[in-house]
Amino acid sequence: MKGKQFLSGQSILKRIFLFLIPFGILLFFAFLQILNLMIFQSEKFKTQADTNRVLKEKVFPPRGLIYDTKGRIIVDNFIRQDLVITPNFINDYSKYLSLLSEITGEDENILENVFYEKLSEIKPFQSFTLLRGLNDEQLAKLKLNSSNLAGTEINPSFSRNVVYGESSGSLIGYLGFASRKDILNNSNLKNFNDQQIGLLGIEKEFDEHLRGTIGYRFSEKDAKGRVLDVLAIEPSIKGKNLKLSIDIELQNELYKEFEGRKGALIAIEPDTGFIRAMISSPSYDPDHFNNLNVEKIKTLLSNKNSPLFNRAISGQYPPASTLKPFIGLVALEEKVISWRDKILDEGEFFVEGDERPYRGWKEGGHGEVDMEKAIAESSDVYFYNIAFDLTVSSISPFLEKFGFGKSSQLFKNESEGILPDQKWKLGQKGEFWFKGDTINMGIGQGYILATPLQIALAYSALINGGKLISPRIVESIDGEEEKFSSKQIDIKNKKNLDYIQEALISVVESDTGTAKNIFNPKLRIAGKTGTAQVKSLIDDKKYQEIRENILLRDHALFVGYGPVEDPSLVVVVIVENGESGSLVAAPIVKKAIDFYQK
Amino acid sequence: MSRKPLDYSLNLDIGTSKRKTSLDLWIILSVLFLSVFGIFMIYSASQSLEMAFRQAIYLVFGFSLLLLISFSNFRKMELFYLYSYWPGLFFLILVLIIPSEGNETKRWIDFGLFTFQPSELMRFLIPVSAAAFLSRKPMISNFDYLAVFILTMIATYLVLLQPDLGTSIIVFLSGILPILLGGLSWTFISFGVFTVLLSLPVLWFSLFEYQKQRIITLFNPEADIYGAGWNIAQSKIAIGSGGIFGKGYLNGSQSQLNFIPESHSDFIFSVISEEFGLVGVASLFIIYGLLIYRLLLISINHQNRFAKILSATLSMILLAYISINICMVIGLLPVVGMPLPFVSQGGTALIINLVTIGIILSLRRET
Repeated sequence: MKGKQFLSGQSILKRIFLFLIPFGILLFFAFLQILNLMIFQSEKFKTQADTNRVLKEKVFPPRGLIYDTKGRIIVDNFIRQDLVITPNFINDYSKYLSLLSEITGEDENILENVFYEKLSEIKPFQSFTLLRGLNDEQLAKLKLNSSNLAGTEINPSFSRNVVYGESSGSLIGYLGFASRKDILNNSNLKNFNDQQIGLLGIEKEFDEHLRGTIGYRFSEKDAKGRVLDVLAIEPSIKGKNLKLSIDIELQNELYKEFEGRKGALIAIEPDTGFIRAMISSPSYDPDHFNNLNVEKIKTLLSNKNSPLFNRAISGQYPPASTLKPFIGLVALEEKVISWRDKILDEGEFFVEGDERPYRGWKEGGHGEVDMEKAIAESSDVYFYNIAFDLTVSSISPFLEKFGFGKSSQLFKNESEGILPDQKWKLGQKGEFWFKGDTINMGIGQGYILATPLQIALAYSALINGGKLISPRIVESIDGEEEKFSSKQIDIKNKKNLDYIQEALISVVESDTGTAKNIFNPKLRIAGKTGTAQVKSLIDDKKYQEIRENILLRDHALFVGYGPVEDPSLVVVVIVENGESGSLVAAPIVKKAIDFYQK
Repeated sequence: MSRKPLDYSLNLDIGTSKRKTSLDLWIILSVLFLSVFGIFMIYSASQSLEMAFRQAIYLVFGFSLLLLISFSNFRKMELFYLYSYWPGLFFLILVLIIPSEGNETKRWIDFGLFTFQPSELMRFLIPVSAAAFLSRKPMISNFDYLAVFILTMIATYLVLLQPDLGTSIIVFLSGILPILLGGLSWTFISFGVFTVLLSLPVLWFSLFEYQKQRIITLFNPEADIYGAGWNIAQSKIAIGSGGIFGKGYLNGSQSQLNFIPESHSDFIFSVISEEFGLVGVASLFIIYGLLIYRLLLISINHQNRFAKILSATLSMILLAYISINICMVIGLLPVVGMPLPFVSQGGTALIINLVTIGIILSLRRET
């Protein structure tokens, strides 16, 4: 290989100077151009900068629409007129605001507050919305006075209309303005600072999809802010449409049943995980928030029954007797008892060394019961017995497989419920786990709490062969289908699942079943009643006292599914302080399944 | 070979080389002035104290590095110099695999507390390793030049993939300059220029649509004044309306209107022009001129081949940044991502520029 000698220092120097020449030429031209711009054309540019301005303004996209499973519209947009101002075109702020207040009839103090708050947030020559949803009278007056109102524009914007109002309100949720904290955490929201975004429910959960992409409008304005010419438009992109799995007719029909009651309902397809109805009562009309109806919002926020709280996913209740089938299943799996073993129920259960009896709900008891009868008649003593033979460290992990004690990931604000064990009790209560805690857990009382959604998923797994499904509320986003996932729970003996289902059928179909009142041979339903104690009953004297205070009455629960031959729907109903699972909650479940089968 | 590569000095009389203990105060002062001025301009352009504060932290960190490096002995870092290309390449590949989220381009790696732009690091590592490679023995063959060329092209291509046309031009220059200064024969140079001219059409078709649009815009700004021409048109209004004395700090209505989307980084020159006028721009030119002059002086006076090539290349890259950025902002060159050194917002760029100065100062300590 032939090499070459180094260049001498002189040659490198020559090359350095040589290669400096192109940069010199560039900078020379740059200097000429700068002189040209800053001296010879300066006046022209000064005029351009000061008088006729070309402004780049945001164009907000319409939000995606929301449909139900049959393509019926649930959430629609309508166009409203907003008052948008650019403060830089206004000479005297206070004069302007009092004139505006006179014209529109809006309170001057409120206008001032909003104005100065927004003013501090924007950059020069940016505009913001001062008034939303102007009415016809205001529009007419504003048009008449437009020559006195520099820097003011009436711009159309989109507003939300939740078609069925309250019935789907707690599910759909509402819009509002992003807080500074939200914007800091999510830079995508920065551009939407003057626009409503989803703050609760579906509107929040799928906000990213529903929001769309902002466009821009380039318009030339004169010194008073009047648009001389729209020069170009970079169109906004509409938000994506959601197709929910909800059947809105079913939803509306069932919501009526909750009139005057507090409670929740979840109806879910056990094989697909599609939620067909989700009700929380009392509910609210999201349009009060969407249209910034301040009075209504205040009333809603101060309502003691918390209508904004979605009980179906965030309400935590003792599962009560609806937990018994799962306790029965653990006992069968752990071989603590077999399907036909009988236990004598005389209404009370005693633990050695403990004076206090564990009472059953029925005085005198149910006599000799096997598991089928114990579930059908909801014998407490039977389940005290088998819970006594089990331990919390076998019950809790088993229940966890069925989804208790954890979020299903459907919504971010879902509650996790409580699935207690020794460690939990020590951490939360500072006490050791007693045998009595396990016995109470045997009838779904004590520390354990579950959401209606969790109960629905657990029952779905019972009847679909042991698959814990991921619930879905959205079928597709702009035509793109949502994925389905499920997890197989390992059951040692599949026969045990069949036994439990037999027992759940007996609840409705046997002569002594607790829900025999809803029996219909043409459309067979199975299920389990439950009565969740709000206050534990230690002695009978207090019972009357408690009955008189509505808020201390027991919650009524029913979980049902049907048709029994090929279940298409699992329905969970909780009526707070409704007292009777069979008389109050079960008929609602029956109605749901009947209606869905039509 | 008992002698270390970097000892191949042009004067061969190593014994006479002296070690200076002082730093060039002109360089230090102009760099400090530009960076601090930059922080104030970033605040004016972005109205964001947080952004200005961040830049100030980068400045403190970068300036400490500058001092540290400038007092070090470059001969002891020889191995690092020779092989520094490879870690740079690693980060360039990494950024394509795990770019920071939330950007359309893959330019940054997210380290949680801060983001880091590997292409900025590369345009500094290439000259260092190329200069060391081309000085490692007395006889440099054409194959050595070819090796540097190929490695430079790989890095350039990786930066183009991000895509980042502006920095890829600089990365290309950062490898080509050491070859040209190092003594590639004129025959090859003319051959290369000829090939580049021939391949221009091919290059044109390999550009992204938005990049083509920018070039078209340059030659005919009126064609698409509210699309690609928007930035240039607004930038020109900002600069022109500054006049002789400018509108005053924080008073540049044009710059503050959000007309110029990158007013705190690539377009910061328009903000300076609008707020400080021709007087400000001229002062900026003088300070940049002083800085580049003092930097080149080190290269001219140095006797060691490595030091001479490296300091000349690094200074010329700074010069390239300055001239291309300004020409682009005033509408003489197409808009590519190219910050104004020391002044524009951007942590990686600022730190690398300060390190560059540190290296040149450490070379200066021995002439």
